[in-house]
Amino acid sequence: MSQPIRTEDDLKRLGQIGAAMLYPKRLKILIGSASCGIAAGARDVEAAATEAVEQLGLDATVSRTGCIGFCQREPLVDLVLPDGPRLSYGNMTAKRIRSLLEAYAQGKDLKPKTALCRRQSEEHLAADETHEYPISTNGLAEVPEASKLEFFRRQQRVILRNCGSIDPLVFEEAIARGAYRGALRALKQMTPDEVIEEVLQSGLRGRGGAGFPTGRKWGFARKSPSDVKYVICNADEGDPGAFMDRSVLEGDPHAVLEGMITAAYAIGASQGYIYVRSEYPLAVSTITHAIAQAEQHGLLGDDILGSGFSFRITVRRGAGAFVCGEETSLIASIEGHSGEPRSRPPYPAVEGLWGKPTVINNVKTLASIGPILSRGAQWYAAKGTEGNRGTTVFALVGAVKNTGLVEIPLGISLREMVFEIGGGMRGKRPIKAIQTGGPSGGCIPESMLDMPIDYDQLSQAGSMMGSGGMIVLDSGTCMVDLARFFLTFTADESCGKCAPCREGTKHMLRILTRICDGQGTEEDLALLERLAAAVQSASLCGLGSTAPNPVLTALRYFRDEFEAHIRDKKCPAGVCRNLITLEIDAETCTGCGQCVKVCPVDAIRGQRKEAHRIDPEPCTRCGACRNVCPVEAVVSR
Amino acid sequence: MSTDHPPLSIDKTGNNGQEPAGAVLVCGGGVAGIQASLDLSAAGFRVYLVEQSPTIGGGMARLDKTFPTGDCATCIISPKLVECMRDHNIDVLTMADVVRLDGEAGNFRAEVKQRPRGVDAEKCTGCGDCWQACPVQNVPEATEPFIPGTPLNAEQTAWLDTLVDRYQGDPAPLIPLLQDINDEHGYLPRPMIEDLSARLEIPLAEILRVASFYNAFSLQPVGRHVIDVCLGTTCFVRGSGILLNRLEEVIGVPAGETDQEMRFTLRTVRCIGCCALAPAMRIDGVTFGKVKLDHVADILEQFE
Repeated sequence: MSQPIRTEDDLKRLGQIGAAMLYPKRLKILIGSASCGIAAGARDVEAAATEAVEQLGLDATVSRTGCIGFCQREPLVDLVLPDGPRLSYGNMTAKRIRSLLEAYAQGKDLKPKTALCRRQSEEHLAADETHEYPISTNGLAEVPEASKLEFFRRQQRVILRNCGSIDPLVFEEAIARGAYRGALRALKQMTPDEVIEEVLQSGLRGRGGAGFPTGRKWGFARKSPSDVKYVICNADEGDPGAFMDRSVLEGDPHAVLEGMITAAYAIGASQGYIYVRSEYPLAVSTITHAIAQAEQHGLLGDDILGSGFSFRITVRRGAGAFVCGEETSLIASIEGHSGEPRSRPPYPAVEGLWGKPTVINNVKTLASIGPILSRGAQWYAAKGTEGNRGTTVFALVGAVKNTGLVEIPLGISLREMVFEIGGGMRGKRPIKAIQTGGPSGGCIPESMLDMPIDYDQLSQAGSMMGSGGMIVLDSGTCMVDLARFFLTFTADESCGKCAPCREGTKHMLRILTRICDGQGTEEDLALLERLAAAVQSASLCGLGSTAPNPVLTALRYFRDEFEAHIRDKKCPAGVCRNLITLEIDAETCTGCGQCVKVCPVDAIRGQRKEAHRIDPEPCTRCGACRNVCPVEAVVSR
Repeated sequence: MSTDHPPLSIDKTGNNGQEPAGAVLVCGGGVAGIQASLDLSAAGFRVYLVEQSPTIGGGMARLDKTFPTGDCATCIISPKLVECMRDHNIDVLTMADVVRLDGEAGNFRAEVKQRPRGVDAEKCTGCGDCWQACPVQNVPEATEPFIPGTPLNAEQTAWLDTLVDRYQGDPAPLIPLLQDINDEHGYLPRPMIEDLSARLEIPLAEILRVASFYNAFSLQPVGRHVIDVCLGTTCFVRGSGILLNRLEEVIGVPAGETDQEMRFTLRTVRCIGCCALAPAMRIDGVTFGKVKLDHVADILEQFE
């Protein structure tokens, strides 16, 4: 075991070691190696880079980092120049990294035209320091600066402060960027009550979805008398379309540990659990590694930071049940049972894991704690708007140009999100709606894009913040079909304990399927609304009570689409199989023949390089031809 | 005890125009026996319901819920219990055993021995005072130790030994253990979980309940390669439904199943968090992004 950390000087000493690794006096090749980067081929790029460094005899290090955030352009590689800025390159391949490194070895220019952006400085947010890169002269000025790119300009990275900048497996790099400063201040200089007061003053609300004030939750748990208390980090990120918790765990695990240690100190807990989805194997191994490092440095275990306070953390893998993101189900799952919720109150802060007071916080909430304590509540509260303080992370995906993880202060508008950060729509189709909050949220129509993004506004519109998925939908999406998709999800994931959710979601799904198939009747809409109201009010847990949201918002804002399905037997978006015919637009078709290859029923005829035609008789309208068509010539009527 | 009845007329083609006659003896007062008695009584037969334990109700009276609907077990059985006790056509003989049976179909003669209850059932009002006053209380019935059906071989036992040791001191080791077994074998082999049930002293039924609740566990063997098709929202909007259809077609089995050669198991997963790569699928842990339908066959060829 290395020397345990006790004082600020210890942190500074380790930080200096880390800084030398972050900004070495030689070339550093930084490979974005989060799950999505690896899926896009980051490992091949890394192997090619290592090989090139060896063969070219370069004085360089190849290093891994977490999610850089620009998912659209994965795999991402950054070059940290010893005498210049940090350059980011997207869509990297083994060949491209090789030629880039060859250019560097020969002293040629670094293909500035292909670079995404450059960084002239790094903000070490939690330490309140800035590292300036040297200004380079050799033709790099034409590379746009990251802070000026529309994707980054509006972002304020607090939760993602270190993601994509540090090697998540190297403890010293995290320290160099300010990790554990907040925990040190809390444990050494503050009483638990002062810590809770500070978090309360910061205005931080739970980032898991419902937005309960974190400081109040901690206060309840502190006041509940018990010899044993627990802190749980909820990393069971089950919402389809949300992956920020994964990115934080994979890219900056110590941010989460720091938050948990602080929470444990504040409420007086001795044991913590991190409940993480098993679908995220890299997150599991990264956080497990980080826990071992923290134990080595005396940040977990007995007498943490020399304060006399003891705390341990165990990682629990989820087992693939969406309902376990609900806190009482999650507790049942950790206790070794099937993850079924129970009624609240008593709330977990009073009676939680094994009947003891338990604080359950989301990954993003916990990752916000470090900077709040190191920089102070006032600093944090200056971000965002009244009642909605601070920043939160969205996974901006769907039909926009720039997709990726986006951290913004609460209160900016949806329009800014889509058209500034997202860079506008990708493709020709106009925007139709934005889906937030996954299967618990709803769709917000184009007409409401000027709405500021915060907890209260979103829930007023019938949606919710949820875990932060934000999917931009264009006119090619059928809202009835989408509502049906979400209901399929919730009906499937309903644990079956309470009847309203178990039966209600199933029947709502049946009605929606009927409408999509063109068998709907006028009464179905009223029935759907009545059922939705019953499920909403009578379900035992959050899964059931929010399950009708996608249907209700679709009915509220896109009722005409439902009516078109029912009355005219038409699907305006051209999605629902039974209500459309597929045709090939003779003008656009290039005759490439790809559609012929994939058609499962041989319904497509045509000569090569001439317009093809779909025979409507055998066509099952599966959409396979539309999926492969490179020029979008397949249209539905 | 002994009661005489005229023989029951049995006609396999129908009731032969005759009214039902005679009596029927039902062995076992569980929910099946109770329902049989009620049906027979409704059909006009005199019924003797013989049950060896002190009460009727059997196993169902001890259940919380019934599979697969999750209905409340007590709510199903309680009305039947009451009905059975009230029915004048049904004689309930508890603490009784059938000791002898003579005759043939349609004309049996049964001898039933009823053990003493120590309470005069005629006079008892069911007040429960004797129960309160009895000094010998809460003597648990000894449960039979669970014996696994197929014993594990030495290698498997040793493997499970090290595994269980790793979670020594963990207050709830069941789910992590099942995850490790599932990771190792691809599914939960029955002998393994039976052995685990005996080791952890957790009833097999509880383990099966947990194992069937979570999507991560499989009780069936899986193929050499496991394909997980992401059905997250972004993937769905970008056509993962069509991708799934195509895979079902190529492999020849619906989602959730394994082909006959045990080459592929096709499954769906709710979001693997690679939304920028939609539609995505994962084969043996390797993610394939932006999958085009005409690439499916090529991708599958890489896996033998």
